Amino acid sequence: MSFWQLMQRLDRRIIYTLIFVSVIIPTLFPLKLPTAVTPETMSFFNAVDSLPAGSRILFPFDCWPSTRAETEPMAVAALRHCFRKNLRVVGLSNVGMGGPSVLENVMNRIAEENGKVYGVDYVNLGYKANYQAVLLGMGSSIETIFPADHRGTRLADLPLMREVPNYDSLVYTVIVSDNAMIDYWVSLVNARYSMPMVAGVTAVMAPKQMSYVQAGQLQGLLGGMKGAAEYETLVGAVDKANRGMDSQSLIHLLIIGFIVLGNVGYFMTRNDKREYHGERG
Amino acid sequence: MVVAFFGRGVVVDAVSDEALRWQTIVGGIALLLGVFSIVQVHWRRVATRHEDRVYSAILLLCLAVMAGFGVFGGVGTGSVYDWLFENIQSPMMATMFSMLAFFIASAGYRAFRARSVPSAILLVTAIIVMLGRIPMGQYLYDGLPGWATWIMTVPSVAVQRGIIIGAALGAASMSLRVLIGIERTYLGRG
Amino acid sequence: MSEFFSSPFVVLFPTAFFTLALYSFLYKDNPMFKFAEHVFAGLSAGYYFGLIHHSVIVQQLWTPLSEGTDWILIVPTVLGVLLFARYVPRIAWMSRLSLAFVIGSTAGIEFIRQLHGLILPQVSKTLMPLDSINNVLIIVGVLATLIYFYFSKPHKGVLGWTASAGIGFIMVAFGAHFGYTVMARVSLLIGRIQFLLIEWLRVAS
Repeated sequence: MSFWQLMQRLDRRIIYTLIFVSVIIPTLFPLKLPTAVTPETMSFFNAVDSLPAGSRILFPFDCWPSTRAETEPMAVAALRHCFRKNLRVVGLSNVGMGGPSVLENVMNRIAEENGKVYGVDYVNLGYKANYQAVLLGMGSSIETIFPADHRGTRLADLPLMREVPNYDSLVYTVIVSDNAMIDYWVSLVNARYSMPMVAGVTAVMAPKQMSYVQAGQLQGLLGGMKGAAEYETLVGAVDKANRGMDSQSLIHLLIIGFIVLGNVGYFMTRNDKREYHGERG
Repeated sequence: MVVAFFGRGVVVDAVSDEALRWQTIVGGIALLLGVFSIVQVHWRRVATRHEDRVYSAILLLCLAVMAGFGVFGGVGTGSVYDWLFENIQSPMMATMFSMLAFFIASAGYRAFRARSVPSAILLVTAIIVMLGRIPMGQYLYDGLPGWATWIMTVPSVAVQRGIIIGAALGAASMSLRVLIGIERTYLGRG
Repeated sequence: MSEFFSSPFVVLFPTAFFTLALYSFLYKDNPMFKFAEHVFAGLSAGYYFGLIHHSVIVQQLWTPLSEGTDWILIVPTVLGVLLFARYVPRIAWMSRLSLAFVIGSTAGIEFIRQLHGLILPQVSKTLMPLDSINNVLIIVGVLATLIYFYFSKPHKGVLGWTASAGIGFIMVAFGAHFGYTVMARVSLLIGRIQFLLIEWLRVAS
């Protein structure tokens, strides 16, 4: 059996081990490579940065716990930016599994860093089922859909929510999403209520969302951990996402190497297979 | 819902808003159907002494514990429910999805072949984007990030837009079929 | 001794244990993985139960009904309960009432959403001036993609040429999508390894 035939039969556990090693090494020995900022991330940053202090914004965190590595750094960086700009944040989640819990933990942590008070500077509305009804219903009355916040406090008892009966009282929407919810925000809320918005999405979703950015339905976009790393750099709070970019670089090179190696092996052994079949024929 | 989009009025608004509120309630109760199904399936496994009955019993126990803490102990920060979510459930969900990195690497090595011109185009584009979006890519060649950005903002946008328009036309026609009563598969018959 | 038990290694041990139990599947399927898998499924189902109890049953139904402020909520309560009628064969047909309400209202929202929120904005932004090569490529790409997915006529002649161009555009887009998908999956793995090395074992800062 030739070398290339052996390579074509490489045990997958060797591949897994190499992947593990290429994540572990940069984590233990950081390279601290600088991250270039893409135009859509710059647009995201500028859109939030241009909001006047005291503006009330909506902060949907429509993410599953499975993608926290990508979405939590985005949410952390975005909330840091919002609180430093003294924006007042109304948060909610349309993902029942963990969305409101993660949002609550992140909001509380970043708010404490910035001396913000719950109920005055930020609120977590929590979760309600059937996202279409939630998005449309909030256009008329937020209190009809969310009689109380995630903690069970009635909206009438929260100073911030007394000023926000519906979308008309909100000036911007900063979305962090890892699923098709972003399509609903764009096609329902942006289209019907002309609510300007920016979005941070997982890398899987970023190619599709670029169509919305080009169409002006989204004013900026963060794509995956790279987008989060770029935003952390712009906000001046380098954190987990930047830390992860070193490992990202090494694994990308490794996977490209695998693909090239696999193709070289395929072309090298393709002729062997042809000769073998020729003999049999 | 369609009328509410075109015309605002006291009656239309009231009916539409109330229907939206009811949707959130019925939708929420519908989620419990899934929980009910899981209980049914695994209870049956335990009762019929299925070979995986021990695992089913563990599942039912964890379900009961989590649901019990959620109902009687509250769901807010600092509750046992929240601790179980933050420290057990959420990390496990993240771990399960992180395993896809291994599978995608293995699949890339074994199956991603440039057998034809279209697949070669796909492969080359993937490599350009993967290199252009990492800090190291810039060190390899200065223009890579620019190429990756161009791919994302021109040909990729064009195709994604075509897919969005095509899918939206299909979804709109399906919704119309439901509204005029042609499509009744959701009722269990054609 | 108390320092050891309050150290991150011990406090985060359950999290790390389940993480490693799931990763053991990469070597081969084993009882530890199955155990972790079933714990996860049970906790997830229990989580939904607690969440719906808190956000729907208590906040949206029990509180207003017990205060006597919103008796009309009995209607969606009944509709919700009727969903469970599917488990009783004799009255299973009643669950269709709830389904019809949900599907009908969703269809109404979707019909408008797709046309007003997606098709119109996307088509209008495609109609760009032909003053740059990028604009020309976007317009050609959108048309070629739509034509490629049109299967009611054979792809011959002009239609065939355009569909072939569509394949080229689609392959470029899918290649970009694959690249981003790799990036996404890898990010999730990086998150877990960061937890194990930085938060649990504390071997990296």
